[in-house]
Amino acid sequence: MAEISFAPAVSIPAHLTGQVQSKLAYVDERILRGAVSPQGDRITLEVGAPLSPEEREILEDKVQQVVAAMARGALRPKIKILEDYLDRPVPYREDPMPELERRGEVFQEAAGIYTLGPLLTRLVAYFESRFEELAASFGAQPYRFPTLVPARNLARVNYFRAFPHSLTFVTHLRSDLDVINHFAESAACDEHGILRTPEGTYAEVETLLSPAVCYHLYFSLADNPLPAESVTATAVGNCFRYESSNLNSLERLWNFTMREVIFVGEKDFVLENRETARRRMEKVFAEIGLAYRVESANDPFFVGEFRKQAAFQSAFDLKFEIRARLPFKDDTLAVGSYNYHQDFFGRHLNITLADGSPVHTGCVAFGLERMAFAFLAQYGFDENAWPEAVRRGVAG
Amino acid sequence: MEQPMTDELTAQVVTLVTEALQVSAEEITPETAFGDLPQWDSMGHMEIMLALEERFGVEVSAETIGALTSVPLIVEHLQEKTHG
Repeated sequence: MAEISFAPAVSIPAHLTGQVQSKLAYVDERILRGAVSPQGDRITLEVGAPLSPEEREILEDKVQQVVAAMARGALRPKIKILEDYLDRPVPYREDPMPELERRGEVFQEAAGIYTLGPLLTRLVAYFESRFEELAASFGAQPYRFPTLVPARNLARVNYFRAFPHSLTFVTHLRSDLDVINHFAESAACDEHGILRTPEGTYAEVETLLSPAVCYHLYFSLADNPLPAESVTATAVGNCFRYESSNLNSLERLWNFTMREVIFVGEKDFVLENRETARRRMEKVFAEIGLAYRVESANDPFFVGEFRKQAAFQSAFDLKFEIRARLPFKDDTLAVGSYNYHQDFFGRHLNITLADGSPVHTGCVAFGLERMAFAFLAQYGFDENAWPEAVRRGVAG
Repeated sequence: MEQPMTDELTAQVVTLVTEALQVSAEEITPETAFGDLPQWDSMGHMEIMLALEERFGVEVSAETIGALTSVPLIVEHLQEKTHG
């Protein structure tokens, strides 16, 4: 293990330090952890082994490329805070992970992949029931979406350009008797857990694990006029976003679950419902006793698209995150978001309104594991200290 | 004299948008707006904003990005800027 520290060629503004830091995980496989100082004037990297001066120079250059692409000429985003309950009193200040591990409530299969035990499962079910109540209040129709998503569908919505770093690919053995027999006889994992196979074993990639829930509704509506004036749907689904060395406890999972309420129709329909959803959830979060804030945000676009896309989202108020307080680290965690996509999916997927114009879309999305984690981080394990609504809800 | 100046400015903006979006001249008219053609999407819009900054000194801020969403709105903004 070795540490490298240097100054960024471009000063990193305070509002970008976290976003640049998260991208350091994707710069080089030797980086175990990257940190940007709060002032944005220092970058520190932990690498697996000491580097030669030449290797260090190449690595620093790659980091500087990322910093320049994200920070040079970066536009200061509008910071809009729609709700601020961060100061809501909560009784717990510990990191819940050690206690969850001690109780057998979490079992880590690999980085970012966890099995949840009975307490967490009940909490997830309770919070999901509250989100389902929200969906029902809109008369949302229930859907079940697949976990797999065809590559061609993600290509239609430019996903590969915007979020290449977080993709998870799916393949299978080639449909060839010799390949399958050879695999069955020889497949084994090495000491690093890597499945070693000869070249040509796997079929070409045409499928991925789905990174989002609402996309599947838009894909199902593609290349047709909207069947009604508007569509309101709800679904829960597994989502997959690879986060490299950023994967961390239940805060940042590779495989997580989202419940979404999705709106498709005219612009005003989508925006009004997004706002109504926020106001309804404000009451629910009060009952749950959550300490949180709703503030403007942007999606985690990769380096090449980050600066422009983030500025665009900010300018048009496209995304607001529900950020729950994590008292043990004096930080916040996004547990949900209120999103408006304008007519992006309508245009790219050719979904039209009666007048032939592209539909507008939006969704409200809740990360169920993060919601349960944030609640335990604020209220701990003594159920007597929990807000009554949660205590009753979890008891069933 | 106002109309010829506006026509000239409109022509300049049409050219700027055409170049920023890398489309053919006939695809951009004095009325074209965000979303009217696939190239004028979020990334295309930001290319237009950066070109406006470079050529006309327009400050690219959340406010201008959100407001200047069509050729007429850009022309109007440039006129206001010129006339103080």
